[in-house]
Amino acid sequence: MNQTTGNDGSATDTFAHVEDRRASSGIDRDLVNIVAVFALSAVLILCSRFVSPALGSWNQVLTILTLSSFLIVLSFGQGLVILVGGLDLSTPSLVVIGGVLATVYGSDGNAFYVLPIALCVCALIGLVNGAGVVILGIPPFIMTLASSIFVASAALGLTGGTPRGNSPEILAFLMKERWLGIPVVVYFVVLFAIVGWIVQSRTTLGRRLYAIGVNREAARIAGIDVGLTEAIPYAISAACAGFVGMMLVGYSDGATLRMGDSYLLPGIAAVVIGGSSILGGSGSFVGTVGGAILLTTLGTVISAIGLDQGYRTIIEGSIILVALVLLREDLFSGLRLRNRKA
Amino acid sequence: MRLNKLMKGAASATMIAGLAATFGATLAQAQDSGSDKKYKIYLAMSYSGNSWQSEAANIVKALAKTPPYDKQVELTEVISGTDPQAQISAYESMIQAGADGVISFPISATALNRTIKRGCDQGVKFFMYDATVTEPCAYNVSFITAGFGENTAQALVNELGGKGKIFLSRGVPGNSVDKRHTDGAMHIFDQYPGISVAAEYYSYWDDRTTQQETAKALAAHPDVDGIWAQAGEYGAVQALLDKGGKLVPITGENSDGFRLALADPKMQDMGLKGVSSGSPPASAGYAFKIMMEVLTGKRDLEPMNIQYPLPWVPAADVKLCEGDTFENGCNVFPSEKVPSSFVTEVFNPTLLPELTLTSALDGNPTPGATIQPLPEEITKAPDSPGINCQRCEAPENQYELTKVKATVQP
Repeated sequence: MNQTTGNDGSATDTFAHVEDRRASSGIDRDLVNIVAVFALSAVLILCSRFVSPALGSWNQVLTILTLSSFLIVLSFGQGLVILVGGLDLSTPSLVVIGGVLATVYGSDGNAFYVLPIALCVCALIGLVNGAGVVILGIPPFIMTLASSIFVASAALGLTGGTPRGNSPEILAFLMKERWLGIPVVVYFVVLFAIVGWIVQSRTTLGRRLYAIGVNREAARIAGIDVGLTEAIPYAISAACAGFVGMMLVGYSDGATLRMGDSYLLPGIAAVVIGGSSILGGSGSFVGTVGGAILLTTLGTVISAIGLDQGYRTIIEGSIILVALVLLREDLFSGLRLRNRKA
Repeated sequence: MRLNKLMKGAASATMIAGLAATFGATLAQAQDSGSDKKYKIYLAMSYSGNSWQSEAANIVKALAKTPPYDKQVELTEVISGTDPQAQISAYESMIQAGADGVISFPISATALNRTIKRGCDQGVKFFMYDATVTEPCAYNVSFITAGFGENTAQALVNELGGKGKIFLSRGVPGNSVDKRHTDGAMHIFDQYPGISVAAEYYSYWDDRTTQQETAKALAAHPDVDGIWAQAGEYGAVQALLDKGGKLVPITGENSDGFRLALADPKMQDMGLKGVSSGSPPASAGYAFKIMMEVLTGKRDLEPMNIQYPLPWVPAADVKLCEGDTFENGCNVFPSEKVPSSFVTEVFNPTLLPELTLTSALDGNPTPGATIQPLPEEITKAPDSPGINCQRCEAPENQYELTKVKATVQP
C-alpha cells in the first residue's frame, strides 16, 4: 500500500499537506515486534544467570533451540491458518498420527518413502479440514476439532493404545546427532525458519494469504481463487504437525498417543506473541519463531527457579501477558505518533 | 487445552463406538450371546492412550477370554475420559444396567464415592486397580501404599553415598499418588543433609515430558549427581544421553527401555545405576481375578484395601526374557518385541500365570491356558488418608523401608 501511494506522484502531491496519521505501516511494526521478542528472549537468558550460574551459557541456548524446534515447525502451519483468519485445533492429533505412522510403518530401510507418504496423509487430512471450512462453511474451530477427534480415534484404533516400533534412523539422526558441536536440528530449524519466512512473506501464495486475511471479499475481487487458496494453509499446518510428530519420535525414540497434547495452546501462543493478529491478515514467521523461542526460554528459566508448580505457572502467565501488552500495536503507534509530533 | 482434552475424551467415547469395527478399536464390546447366566462385568477406564492403561485393560480382556471365564463373563469396556463427571455417569449407567461387578481405574479418590456407595447398596461389587477410592464399600487393589517413594529414595541415597545434587521428576501436580510417592521420598532425602534437591519438576508420568523437563533442568544444573523419577524415567536417561558426557544413578518405574538401559554394560560404564520399581499394570489382572473369585463364591472377602507387592528390580537383577512371559526370573523384553515405553510389570508368575506378551499387547488369551486359583493369602494395605480411607490415620511406620536398607548413615 505504501508503494502505491509513494509511486503515484499525484497522490503524494495531493496529500502532501496532510499529516500522516495512519496507525501503522505494517512492516515497521513487524520489525519492532520481532526485535522485541528476540530481545526479550536474550534478556531472559542473560538474567537466568542470577537463577543458576550454569544458565546463560551456550549450552543452554542449544538446549532451548532444540526444545523450541517442535514449536517452531508446528506454529509455522498454525501461523498460516491464523493468517487467513482460521484456527487449527487438530494439531495435537496430527502430531500423534505423524509419530504413529512413522513408528508403526517406518523402519531404517523404508523411511525414505514411508515418511513422505505419512506427511502426504497428514496433508490430506488438513485438506479435508480446509474443504470443510471453505466448501461446507463450517467454522474452522469446529471443523478442526471434529477432525481432531477422528484422527485421535484412528490412531487409538490403529495402535490399540500402545504404538509399537522405534524411531527410523533418519529421524534419530535429525534429533540426536551433532555437527561441529551443534545439534543437527538447530541447522534444520534455521533452514526451516528461512524457508518458512520466504514462503509466507516473499511468494505469491504468501501474499495471497495476507490478502485473504485482510479482506476476503477484496481478495476475491482482485482475482484470487479464495476457496482453493484458503484451504492450502490447513494442509500445510497438518503436514507441519505431522512432521513435529516425527521429530518427537526421533527425539525420544518412540510414539505415544498423548505426545501432541502439550503443543496446541503454545502453538497458537507462539504465533500471537510473535506479533500476528489472531484475527488474521498480519504478522511474520520470523516473529513466530521468536515467539516460540521466547516461550521455550521462559519454560527453561522458570523450571530452574525452585518454585512450586502453581507459582511457576503464574509467573509464566504473567510474563506472557506483559509481553503481549508491551507488543500491542496501539502502544507502538502511540509512541511513533508522539515522536513524530515532537 | 484441558477443555479440549475433556471434550475429546467425552466425544471420543461416543465416536469410537462407531469406528470400532473399522479400526479394530479397543472399545470392543466383548459380548457373546447364547449361554444362560453370565456375570455382567464392566471395565471402566479413564483413558486408553498410554501404554500403561492399554496394557492394564488388555490383560483384563485376555483373562475374561481365558477358560472358564470365557463362559462366565460378559465384559463391556467403557472409556470415559479424564474427568470424574464422565466416570460418574458411566458408573451410573452400569448400575442401571444391572452390573454384577465393575473393575475400574478411578479418576478421583473421592469424587466417585457417592455413586459407588449407591452401586454397593444395589449389590454391585466395585474393584479399583492401581488408583484408589476412599469409599469403604469398594475394594482397592494397588501398590500405592507399598512404599515406592521411600524405597527408591533410599536406593538412590545409597548409590550416591549419602551426598549430592538430585532432581525429582514427579507425576501430575495435585495428584494424591504423586504426593504419597514424593512424601515418602522426601522423608528419606530430608534425613541426609548432604542430599540437595536441585530441581523438582512435573513430568506427568510421560517419557517425552520427562525428557524435555529433564533437559531444561540439566541446562541449569549440568552437574547433577542423581535423578529420582516416577514413571517416564526413560526420558531422564535420554535427556542425559542428549546432553552428552556421563550418566548418573537414576531410580524410576518399570518401562522396558529403562530396564534395558540399566542392564546395558555400555550405559553402566557411563555411570548409569539404579533400580526399577513402581506401578504395575498387573494389579488390574489381580483385581479382576479376586473379583471373579468373590463373585463365583470361591472366596469370601469383605471390601478391603489390598496391597499389590512392590516390583523391585535393581540393575543387577535385570534379566532378558527369551519367551513371551516372565519365566526363569526374567523381567525385561528385547527392544524388537516391545516399544521402550512398554511397562514390563504386566506379568506375575504366581498371581497371573495365564498371561503372555500377546495378552498385554493385544488382549488375546494365551492358547491352552486356563484360569489358575489365586494364593489364599491376601495382603492388607495400610491406611493412607485421602488415598484409601477417609478420617483415618496413617500408621507410624508408613515410610518404613521394605526393599532396601540404608547403607550410608546421615
